[in-house]
Amino acid sequence: MTAWNLRPIASALWRNRTGAILVAFQIAIGLAVLVNAVYVVKQRVEKIARPTGMDTANMIWVASAGFAKDYDYDASWREDLATLRELPDVKAASLFSNIPLSGGGSSNGFQPRPGEVTPKETVQGNNYDVDEQAIAALGVKLVAGRPFEVHEIQPPSEAFEMSPQAIVTQAFAKEMFPNDPNPLGKTFYDGLSKPITIVGIMEHMHGAWVGWDKLDHVVLFPRIKDGPNAVYLVRAEPGRRDAVMRDIEARLGDSNPGRLLRWVRPFDYFIHQSYLDDRNMAIFLSSVTSALLAITALGIFGLATFNVSTRIRQIGTRRAVGARRMDIVRHFLVENWMITTAGIVAGCGFALAIGYWISIKYELPRLDLYYLVGGVLTIWLIGLFSALQPARRASTISPAVATRTV
Amino acid sequence: MFGYYLDLAFRNLKRNPGLTALMIGAVALGIAVCVMTLTMYRAMSGNPIWWKNDVLFSVTMDFWDPQQPYWDKKPELAPEQLTYRDAMAVYESDIPKHKVIMHKAVGILSVDGSSVKPERTVTRVTTKDFFAMFDVPFQYGGTWTDAADTGPEPVMVLSRKMNDRLFGGENSVGRRIRWDDNEFRIVGVRDNWMPLPTFYDVNNGSLEEPEDVYIPFGWNVALELPSAGNTNGWKPEDIQTYQDFLSSESVWIQMWVELPDDSARGKFQAFLDNYAREQKRAGRYQRPLNNRLTKVDQWLVDNNVVSNDNRVLVGLAFAFLAVCLLNTVGLLLAKFLNNAPMTGVRRALGASRRQVFFQHLVEVGVISSIGALLGLALGGLMLMGLRALYTVDPTDAGGTQALAHVDMTSVATALLLAFFATIAAGLYPAWRIGRIPPASYLKAQ
Amino acid sequence: MLEMQGISKIYRTDLIETHALRDFSLKVGDGEFVAVTGPSGSGKTTFMNVAGLLETFDTGVYKLDGEDVSRLSDEARSKLRNEKIGFIFQSFNLIPDLDIFDNVDVPLRYRRLAKKDREQRIKSALDVVGLSSRMHHMPSQLSGGQQQRAAIARALAGDPRFLLADEPTGNVDSLMARQVMDLLEQINEMGTTIIMVTHDPELARRAHRNVHIVDGQISDFQPYETRGDAIVKAASATVAMSPA
Repeated sequence: MTAWNLRPIASALWRNRTGAILVAFQIAIGLAVLVNAVYVVKQRVEKIARPTGMDTANMIWVASAGFAKDYDYDASWREDLATLRELPDVKAASLFSNIPLSGGGSSNGFQPRPGEVTPKETVQGNNYDVDEQAIAALGVKLVAGRPFEVHEIQPPSEAFEMSPQAIVTQAFAKEMFPNDPNPLGKTFYDGLSKPITIVGIMEHMHGAWVGWDKLDHVVLFPRIKDGPNAVYLVRAEPGRRDAVMRDIEARLGDSNPGRLLRWVRPFDYFIHQSYLDDRNMAIFLSSVTSALLAITALGIFGLATFNVSTRIRQIGTRRAVGARRMDIVRHFLVENWMITTAGIVAGCGFALAIGYWISIKYELPRLDLYYLVGGVLTIWLIGLFSALQPARRASTISPAVATRTV
Repeated sequence: MFGYYLDLAFRNLKRNPGLTALMIGAVALGIAVCVMTLTMYRAMSGNPIWWKNDVLFSVTMDFWDPQQPYWDKKPELAPEQLTYRDAMAVYESDIPKHKVIMHKAVGILSVDGSSVKPERTVTRVTTKDFFAMFDVPFQYGGTWTDAADTGPEPVMVLSRKMNDRLFGGENSVGRRIRWDDNEFRIVGVRDNWMPLPTFYDVNNGSLEEPEDVYIPFGWNVALELPSAGNTNGWKPEDIQTYQDFLSSESVWIQMWVELPDDSARGKFQAFLDNYAREQKRAGRYQRPLNNRLTKVDQWLVDNNVVSNDNRVLVGLAFAFLAVCLLNTVGLLLAKFLNNAPMTGVRRALGASRRQVFFQHLVEVGVISSIGALLGLALGGLMLMGLRALYTVDPTDAGGTQALAHVDMTSVATALLLAFFATIAAGLYPAWRIGRIPPASYLKAQ
Repeated sequence: MLEMQGISKIYRTDLIETHALRDFSLKVGDGEFVAVTGPSGSGKTTFMNVAGLLETFDTGVYKLDGEDVSRLSDEARSKLRNEKIGFIFQSFNLIPDLDIFDNVDVPLRYRRLAKKDREQRIKSALDVVGLSSRMHHMPSQLSGGQQQRAAIARALAGDPRFLLADEPTGNVDSLMARQVMDLLEQINEMGTTIIMVTHDPELARRAHRNVHIVDGQISDFQPYETRGDAIVKAASATVAMSPA
C-alpha cells in the first residue's frame, strides 16, 4: 500500500460521499466569495487611498451662518478672515463657496470655443469660488502660472456668474485642450460663451463627488462666495490642526451675535463621510468573508475528525500491517485534498459567474485571473491546515485497536 | 413523547460538547449575518408606504436637453424633478385627490426669549396635502390651508423632536417662532415619522431623517429661497435674478399626486400630455413626449435607492447562510451517524422510523433554537457595530438614524427565515438516520 | 407461536449476492426455549433479525402469533417489536448516557405508557434481574454480567411474548454466563418464549430444543443433544467452508 495510490482513497471517499459533497460545496462557495470579495475590497481601498492633491491632514473647514436681519455679510467675512489669518500656526485662510470631497458642490459645463457646441465638446468641471489665499490654503501644487491676485477677486454675486480668470487642474486642461502641451494663458468659455483665461494650472485636486469620474476636473474662480452663509478653509502648520481648531472656536464662537458659528471641522470629517459607504463595504466584506472562511475551515475540520473517529479500527489495521504514522497523515491529507479540490473546481465556476455579475453591476473590468489563482492557493492552504490536526490525531491511533473487540 | 425527545436531545448535545458548540456557533453566526444584512437591506430598500403604492405617483416630465437624455444609463427616464413653472402649471389640475409640490431649504430656527440656541434646520417647503398624502401622523394640530400656500401665510409644522427641543414637548400650536428672521406661527406638530428610505425626495441621501420643519410652498418666492437639494440644468441661461431662476429650465421641484383609481390616473396622464404638447407648440419640449407617473416601488428602483452594494450584501448574506447550513447538515449527519448504533438499539426496542426521525428533528430544533437566540444577540451586536461604522459625528443625525429605527418586523422576518432554513437543513440528516437498517449496528463489531 | 415458512433473504451488493437464508422454515411454540447454533456466517443472525422484525425478507411467509407480518409497514412492525419481542445482545447495547433505570425505560417510552405504569414495570423488571439497588448507576459503572442483566431487564420490562437473545453470554465470564443462563431459564418458566443464538454447547444443551443452521437452512444434524462434544470439530469444519 502506498499513500500516493489515489484510486483507493478516491473510491473509499466515493462510498461515503455525502459529508464530502457538503464540504466541497462549502469550499466552492467560500472560494467564489473570497475571490470576489478581495476584488471588490481592493477596488474600494484603492478608491479611498487616491491622492487628493491637497494637504488634507492640516486643513480645517469653518461654517458660519448669518441669520439676523441686520447681519452685515460683507463686514463679517472680512473680519473673520482677518481673525483667522492672525491666529498662531495658521498658514493660510480662504473663503470657499463649497467644500471639496464633501458630496456637495457645483459643477458646470465649459467649452473650448464660443457659441453652440455639441455635448461631446463640453467639458465638465467642479467649480469653486475662492479668494487669493486659496492655493496656499489648499496646499495644492501649481505646475504652471500663479495663484489669484487680490485685485482679481470679484465681489459676491447672486447670479450664477463665472469670473474672467480661472485656475484649473491639469486633467481639466488636458480634456479642454487635448492637443496643447501648455494651456496656460489660453481661453475657454462657459455655457453662455463668456471667456475665461487660465492663469494657473494645478497638478491635481479633487472636486465634490467621489463617485464621479470627473472628480479631478476642478476649476477655481476668483470670487467671494455669496452670503449670508460662509465657509472658510484654514490650513494649519503641520501637526497643529487640533490646536488651531480650538482657537477658532474660541475666537469666532461669540464674535458676532447676528450669526451662528455652525461648526469647525477637520477636512478628514468630510472625506471620511464621502467614503463612508466604500469604507464600510470594505470592512463588511472583509469581516463576513473571513467569518465564512472560518466556518468552512471548521466544516473541513469537523468532517476530517468524523472520518477519523469512524475509522479507528481501519486505521489500527493499517498500522498493524505496517503503515507508518506519516502514511496515515498522508492518507487523510490526500483524502482531504481531493475534497478541497473538487470544491475548488466547482468554486472556480461560481467565482467567475459572480465576478461577471459584479463587473456588470459595478461597471468594473472583468475579474482578473490572478485573483482566482490566489483564491485557489488560499483555499488549498486552509483545507490543509484544517485537516492537519485530525490527520495527526489519526496517526497516533495504536495498532492494537485492530485486535481489540470493542 | 416531545418531552422525552427534548430530554434525549439535551443529553446528546452534552455528549459531544465540542461538536455541539461548533454547530450552534455556525447556526448562530449564519443567523446573525442574515439578520444584520437583511435588516439593513430592508431599511434601505423597503417600500415605506406600501399600503398606498397603487395610488401614489411621482410626476416627472422630460423637457431635458434635446441632444442627450437626462440619465445616460436609463435614457427612458425623465429628470426626477420639475422646473418651477411646470410644477406650478401642473399643480393647477384638480384631478388628483391630493397633490404636492415641494423642495428642501435651509433656515435658522429660533424662539425669542428662549434659552435654546438658534439652530440651522433642514426645512421642507411644501403644499398643504403633504401630510394627508403621505399619511404623516400629527401629535398636535394639523396642516395649513390652501390659502396659506399661496398667501403665503406665516404658518409652520414642527417635528415632534424639534418641538421637544424647543418647547419641551408641550402643545406648541399657536406659538411664535422665527425662521431666518421671519416670524411664523406653529399650526401643527407632526408625530414621529420615519419613512425608510425617504422616498418622497431621493435627492441627497435616502437614509436621511425627514425634515424637522415644514412651511407653505409660497415662501420660496416670497423669501427667494434656493433649493437645499440638487438643482440641475442643461441649458446655458443667463440667470441674474430669482425671477430668472424661476422661469429657467433648471429642475428642482419634487411633485407627487394621489390618484385614487385608473380613471383618475388616465385623466391626469392626458392632462400632463396635453400640457406638454402645448409647451412643445410654444417651442419647448423638443424631446419625445415622456410624462411619467411612477409608483413608489418603481420610483425607488429607478432612482437606484437600492444600491449595488446592497445587492451584493444580500447575495453575500445568502452565500453565508448557505455555507452555515451546509456546515450544519454535515455536522448533524456526522453526529447522528456517530450515534447510529444507539439508534439501532432504539429501533430494536420498538422505535419506528417516524419516531427516530422526530427524535432527531427535535434535536435539530434544539440546536436551531439555541443558535437562533445566540444569533439574534449576535446580530444585535453586529447592528450596533454597523451603526458605529455609519456614525461620522455622534451629534449629527444622518444615516445613523435610519439604522436606529430598524423595525422589529424585518428582524423577525430574517430570524424566522434563518431558523426555518436550519430546521429544513436538519430534515435530511434526520431522515437519513431513520432509514438506516437497525440490524446493521446491533452486532458487536 | 412463531412460524416461518419458506423464508429466503438475499443480500445484494454491486459485486455479489449472498443467500443468507434459503427456503427457511421453522415453528416455535409458545413457552419453548430454543437454542440456535451454527457456524459463523450460516445465517443465525439474519434469522434473528428477521424473527425480530428488524429486517424484511424476500420470499416466504412469517406469522407471529398467527398474524402475517410479511407485508407490514415499518410503523406496524415497530409496534409489534415493541410489544411482543424483547432483544438481548452479545454486547449488551445499553445506551451509555442513560442510567439503568432510563435504559429499561426506553421500550416503555415508545409504547407511550403512563409514568406510573412505567416506573412500576421498570422496578419489577430490575427486581427480577436483581439490580434494584443499581438502578441509578450508569452502564459504565457496572460489570459485564450486571450490564447483561440490565439489558435483560430492559427486554423484560415490556412483558414480551418472545425473547430473542444473540450470544447473550458471549461477553461475560463463565460464572456470570451461568447466572445469565439461570435467569433466562427462570424467565422461560414464567411463560416467555426464548430463542437464543449461542456458540456454547453447554448453554445449548440447557435449551428444550436445538436448531442448527448451516448455509441459511436448518440442518437435521443435531450436534450437541444427540452426539456430544465430538461433533464440535465437524461444526468447525463447516465454518471453513461456508461463505464468509
